[in-house]
Amino acid sequence: MEKTLQVLNVLERDGALSRYAIGGAMGATFYAEPVLTFDLDIFVILPQTADGLLTLEPLYAALRARGYTEEGECVNIEGIPVQFLPAYNDLLVEALAEARETLYEQTPTRVLRAEHLAAIAVQTGRDKDRQRVRLLLEQALLDDNYLASVLARHGLDARWKAWIP
Amino acid sequence: MESMDTLRPEIARLIAAKEQRRHKLAALSFVEKVRVVVQLQQMVLPVLRARGHAARAWVLDDSNPVGQKQIPT
Repeated sequence: MEKTLQVLNVLERDGALSRYAIGGAMGATFYAEPVLTFDLDIFVILPQTADGLLTLEPLYAALRARGYTEEGECVNIEGIPVQFLPAYNDLLVEALAEARETLYEQTPTRVLRAEHLAAIAVQTGRDKDRQRVRLLLEQALLDDNYLASVLARHGLDARWKAWIP
Repeated sequence: MESMDTLRPEIARLIAAKEQRRHKLAALSFVEKVRVVVQLQQMVLPVLRARGHAARAWVLDDSNPVGQKQIPT
């Protein structure tokens, strides 16, 4: 895992991606009890392309050049299948901008804030996202005011209230 | 068969212990949690493979291999 994060840091340093942070199940695991997953979800801000299209292809090409190959939706980086998820809306862009800096062993990395993980789960809206929100509410130390501001800013209050009566 | 009244305190104790274990797991460091995730992967892999899934457990590069550190029980 540490080597995987080191590769992500090199990709960011070299400009193959502009910014990254851990999200998804591993992001939630940072704040709560470990949950089973087989992918490491990495949210990314991609560099601006000439035509303005949001494409992972330049990132995949940079990974291929370093010997990391695609496996379905993921790229195997140092033994861990990494799924890159481009920030495709304002909530994800904000979540990446405000991601928490941390260390994994000796390697610096970022994890999305727990409040953003909860908001993204509400926005995504699958059954497993409901479970993730419940887990975060139970075990993560959420900043209620900050969470309320995120939900309001991204028009998620009504769905939150429906999920958490 | 034991009556429900006899079972209730025991069940309450078990549920409390389970809750306590979940909070212990939540309090682990991120590195330790990743090791637990890999242990979970290794536990479910035989079932997934029997169902035809091509999932693989992660290969950790940490200095302490999976299972070397005590996971709270």
